[in-house]
Amino acid sequence: MSLVIRFKNFLDETGNIARFTARFFSVGIKPRYENKELFNQCYIIGYRSLPLVGLTAFIMGLVLTMQLRPSLVDYGVESQLPVMVGLAIVREIGPVITALIFAGKIGSSIGAELGSMKVTEQIDAMTVSGIKPFKYLVATRVLATTLMLPLLTILGDAISLFGAYLGVNIRSVTSFDLFFLQVFKSLDFSDVLPAIIKTLFFGFAVGIVGCYKGFNSTKGTQGVGISANSAVVLSSVMIFIIDLLAVQITELMGLN
Amino acid sequence: MRNPKANNIKLGAFVLSALVLMIFAFFIIGKNNNIFGNDFRLKVQFSNLNGLTKGNNVLFSGLQAGTVKEVELINDSTIEVTMQINSKVKSFIHKNALAAVGTEGLMGNKVVNISPVKGISKKVEEGDLLKVKNTANMDEIIAKLSKTNDNVAIISEVLKGTVLRIDSSAILKLINDQSIGINLKASLKNIYKTTSNANEMTIGLNHLVNDIKKGKGTAGLLLTDTSMASTLKDAIVQIKAAGVNANQMTNQMNTMVKDLNHELTNGKGPLNRLLKDSLTAKNISLTIENLQKGTDGFNQNMEALKHNFLFRGYFRKLDSKKKEEQSELLKSSQKK
Amino acid sequence: METEIKEPVIVIKDLVKAFGDKKVLDGFNLTVEKGSNVVILGKSGSGKSVLIKCIIGLLQSDSGSILVFKGNISQMNEDELDQARSKIGFLFQSNALYDSMTIRENLEFPLLRHWVDITKEEVERLVNEALENVDLLHTMDMMPSELSGGMLKRVALARTMILRPEVILYDEPTTGLDPVTSREIENLILKLQKKNHSSSIIISHDMNCVKNTADLVVLLLEGKCYTKGTYEELKQSTDENIKQFFE
Ligand SMILES: Nc1ncnc2c1ncn2[C@@H]1O[C@H](COP(=O)(O)OP(=O)(O)OP(=O)(O)O)[C@@H](O)[C@H]1O
Ligand SMILES: [Mg+2]
Repeated sequence: MSLVIRFKNFLDETGNIARFTARFFSVGIKPRYENKELFNQCYIIGYRSLPLVGLTAFIMGLVLTMQLRPSLVDYGVESQLPVMVGLAIVREIGPVITALIFAGKIGSSIGAELGSMKVTEQIDAMTVSGIKPFKYLVATRVLATTLMLPLLTILGDAISLFGAYLGVNIRSVTSFDLFFLQVFKSLDFSDVLPAIIKTLFFGFAVGIVGCYKGFNSTKGTQGVGISANSAVVLSSVMIFIIDLLAVQITELMGLN
Repeated sequence: MRNPKANNIKLGAFVLSALVLMIFAFFIIGKNNNIFGNDFRLKVQFSNLNGLTKGNNVLFSGLQAGTVKEVELINDSTIEVTMQINSKVKSFIHKNALAAVGTEGLMGNKVVNISPVKGISKKVEEGDLLKVKNTANMDEIIAKLSKTNDNVAIISEVLKGTVLRIDSSAILKLINDQSIGINLKASLKNIYKTTSNANEMTIGLNHLVNDIKKGKGTAGLLLTDTSMASTLKDAIVQIKAAGVNANQMTNQMNTMVKDLNHELTNGKGPLNRLLKDSLTAKNISLTIENLQKGTDGFNQNMEALKHNFLFRGYFRKLDSKKKEEQSELLKSSQKK
Repeated sequence: METEIKEPVIVIKDLVKAFGDKKVLDGFNLTVEKGSNVVILGKSGSGKSVLIKCIIGLLQSDSGSILVFKGNISQMNEDELDQARSKIGFLFQSNALYDSMTIRENLEFPLLRHWVDITKEEVERLVNEALENVDLLHTMDMMPSELSGGMLKRVALARTMILRPEVILYDEPTTGLDPVTSREIENLILKLQKKNHSSSIIISHDMNCVKNTADLVVLLLEGKCYTKGTYEELKQSTDENIKQFFE
């Protein structure tokens, strides 16, 4: 019985998020545009996330390289290390790790921010002041996450590759030129484009879920906490689901 | 929010650097991928691709010249491969150039190697069909290996047949000539050696297979390619069979020699007289010579196999082992 | 009183609002005349906040009608609602200051939204004036988190008044303030009312505030308008439900 109720709640939630998304496309995209707030959010969501994303990306590149090396050495193809790492970073690790870090940082902050705004009636105050909270708060944030995550991913990939370069150089010596050449020789548009396009969707998911959770926060600090937490959890899961879809789609399109 | 202008500048720097990176990456990839250059297509028909697939590289005299765009099965023995070739290379490829499926390095991806051929010929045009060149590469070495093993099997089969015939031939029982007997003995010894050689080989290859399975050693590395490994496996199975045959043969030889010895020492029986005919003796001599030749050939094959660079290291080890064993064998025989 | 109506600004008829099974408002009636202050009394949780949120369209009523400036709130589209809201001020019980913005930005925000072609100087002047009214000019560039509860209430009040609305809905303007500040705020409410000829609905438990500001006192009980009258009238009442508030 409780399972049925849970399932119903799950469907209800899914429906609500779908509606919320539809509302973004019907209301959020139309003028008037809150450009100033959009830039502000881009700054907060994009620029301010860069140090965190950069750090994790760097470590990821370094560690991935160091972890992959032994098995490549066993197979006598150590020279392929840059290629392996490059492909792994650009195709999967970069986008997904960046998106997960992003979900952790931005998803929770959006969830908590909108949640507390909701709870302290700031959202109502906006409505009263003639501001469409959906446009001012949701549309700007969703747009910002959608636009900023790909940029963060690109920068993260670059930093990650630099980390990988250092990782290669810990045990052996490679010139930056050679590393660079090897990585790019193995890369194709079909590696880079789907990876970047999927981050648009990751960003959108993080934005929508964070805003939805915050916007529908229940009263009290606990409600805000729950919003922030479930925003991170749900958007992380969404990232993996979208990732799965993306790989299927690229496969179907013959881009793999 | 506190200082919108400074923030906007930072945001601008952030966005621009990401975009510049992206464009830069696209540019470089585009250059690699020839997407911005105008390429042309060449075709080649193979009977066996050895695992060549879409997207593999095409090398012209070892130079990266393009990629495999399409692989199409035309009939049961022809597969057409369409290659996209960088137009920069176009003016260097002539119509008589030969194409072959090769391997990048010793393992790794399959590639199409296009190699120029001496002689005057027109330059290629869009859609030209290149001829196929037979190459000696890893695949072929393995193919040869397996052929060698086929030969081993056949030889042992022949040997076995011969021995059987000798054994069953009533003529043999009539042998009287001591010298023939000695010759025969020597030959039989030779055969014995050969077969033991074959046996060792088999054991050695067995070890090798185990190593390969575990992915150890250079050979293991080279053979991680599944198609190669399976070819080698087949070869080894055949060698094993050959070994078994040789074993059987040896046993039969042994019994035969015993019989023969027995008869020779006893020197009795009505057949003795028949053997006095020198012609028969000569025939038998010849047979035995042939036998020897056959075993020599077999030995040579084995030798060739040993020198194959793939197994060199391995057999060096085996050699030292063999020496030890031989010395032990010598000791034990001396005791006897 | 109803007989000698001047000009009604807000007319509420048979308002019903329920959350789930719980009927918070159950046939509430009220008329607010131009230039008058109506104080709503009621126990905690009786639905006072819900009532004024219905008036400004933050909550959708289930049935009944709310006419503000002769327009029915529940039938307006977004633009009409915005239009109506630009003439209504709303002081939130929880202040609802934007805590990611400075005090200045908090005040500028509604100004820039409602009066699109306002000049920078005008904005500056209005913000200054509003803050001066609540005696908090020095907090201009602070963040809300740096202010005390009473200061926040005053800033919220300043923000509510900055647009010079014709109708102001105050949700407990003096709760949590010391008597001196409470008095100042009451005076401010009265001063503004005189200056702008505005009308207001004030929710309050503070009997001093009620006494000083109310032209009409309404008691909200069980979702209905239990009684109404002047402060003096209700004070004389012997009804148990009314007497509770005046003890
Ligand atoms: N969004 C909501 N969802 C469900 N119930 C609500 C909601 N808002 C208010 N209520 C319920 O409506 C009732 C009235 O709430 P309201 O906030 O109007 O009380 P109030 O009269 O303002 O009390 P107080 O003087 O404490 O502010 C409460 O019982 C509350 O539980
Ligand atoms: Mg209330």
